[in-house]
Amino acid sequence: MNVGSQPSLTRAGLFPNGGETVVITHEDVDRAHDRVRVSTARARRGFSSRAKLLWLLVGPGVLVMLGENDGPSMLSYAATGAKFGIGFFLPFVALTFGMAIVVQEMTVRLGAATHRGHAELIFERFGPFWGWFSMIDLGIGNFLTLITEFIAIRAGLGFFGVPPWMAILIALIILYGALVSHRYWTWERITLAAALFNLVFIPVALMTHPSWHSVGHAFITWQPLPGFNKDTLLIVLADIGATVTPWMLFFQQSATVDKGMTTKDIRFGRIDTVLGAALATAAAVATILATAPLFAHQMTADTFQAAEFAQALQPLIGRFGASLFALGMVEAGIVASITISTSSAYAFGEVTHKPHSLNLPMGQGKAFYSVLTLCAVAAAAIVLVPGLPLVYVVLVVNVVAVLAMPPALVFLFMLVNDKEIMGDLVSPAWANVLATAVVFILTAAGVLFGVSIIAPNIFAALSGK
Amino acid sequence: MTPKEQPPVLISNADQQLALSSLEHDQLVKAKKHFIPRRHLKGPELVVLWALRIYLLFMMAVVGYQAWIAAR
Repeated sequence: MNVGSQPSLTRAGLFPNGGETVVITHEDVDRAHDRVRVSTARARRGFSSRAKLLWLLVGPGVLVMLGENDGPSMLSYAATGAKFGIGFFLPFVALTFGMAIVVQEMTVRLGAATHRGHAELIFERFGPFWGWFSMIDLGIGNFLTLITEFIAIRAGLGFFGVPPWMAILIALIILYGALVSHRYWTWERITLAAALFNLVFIPVALMTHPSWHSVGHAFITWQPLPGFNKDTLLIVLADIGATVTPWMLFFQQSATVDKGMTTKDIRFGRIDTVLGAALATAAAVATILATAPLFAHQMTADTFQAAEFAQALQPLIGRFGASLFALGMVEAGIVASITISTSSAYAFGEVTHKPHSLNLPMGQGKAFYSVLTLCAVAAAAIVLVPGLPLVYVVLVVNVVAVLAMPPALVFLFMLVNDKEIMGDLVSPAWANVLATAVVFILTAAGVLFGVSIIAPNIFAALSGK
Repeated sequence: MTPKEQPPVLISNADQQLALSSLEHDQLVKAKKHFIPRRHLKGPELVVLWALRIYLLFMMAVVGYQAWIAAR
């Protein structure tokens, strides 16, 4: 390829490529720089090079899993510990993260094989009719969840006496701060650093001195079992919704594409996903353990909000421990508000064919950054409106996520088994069996929830009461 | 800074060459402008998609009803 005849600098590089003109953009160049580092690390041998390669390729999986440990999720885990103590829900939550691994691994393969985002693939492969359905599901779910993230931030910082408007402003500044470099890599590292703060729930759990014998017993035997009633079902749904939600599919696939991952990176994409799930499980289990003493002390937690759990724990673990708990809620809200608003912006760009990448300079990515910012600002503004009954949003957001998941999973399932776009990377039979089982479990949980609301008498009879 | 004042994004020859050599062809932004061919859904697939769509709409109404009951 003769490059010497090209002008030394062009606004967007125009390069001949086998008779076809290829336009090189700023986004391509940024992604290429990231790929060179990956190729260099891959070419070397030895443990340190493997570790470097993992460091370079880790990101979307950890972010999506720790991002899903968001405000309402941590609240669900806290409510689980306070209502049921140490028992069935410890292994159950670990199992839900197992389901998340099965599902999210598919998005890694899809992104690496097609270099297209999830929304884009649904629109182009199945047409706009089905595409808009999935976009509406995503849009509503993301916006409701974003509202709850800002509620968590407001409540968490409220524990330290920070007024609501200032709490929201701090969150928006952090969200914007992660974006200003206009580089996917920098954004990912800043958000990863913030996401690791999710592990703050582990020291809080240790401060409560949990009975490790009971913890081990619960993981091995899944006991004590909770009673089969409406409250248990709501917690089951909330805990499932705390680990598998539609935005995660859209986010991880788009982030995999934006990071520039290829089929050679799928193995590390899987490690990234499993690592993220392990970290998120540790934080979720720690949150259940942290609030389990409230169950032991027979404190009712039915009306607790994020910061109220911290206040309730203060006599047991002191001001420092309670502050860590409240800060954990703030972190959960901030990281999720970053990842969820980014997921909305990716999907919008993919569907409208506007530039959509965190590598875009502000001037070239106006639509992408505007959607990202508008989603966050609108959700934040709603949280500041006095008198709105937002508590219902917190209560139903995880349930809505569980209900919206089966249709989203069927699209994912069809795409990842589509030989025309996936080639040899279609799902193996065992992965299809697991994915089908996840769809059935989620649908069954949703149907049971419906029965418990519409026909509580039938549900009571089913539960033997 | 207004959009008109944005400096042009200049791409050097070295960077262009780097992009072409280190990215797969379909990773380039330009390549993504090409549409992926549409796949026509078969009968059983349409049945599943419609069933899940009706399920979701119905269940969302149930969630709305639950929120209304809780608000009262």
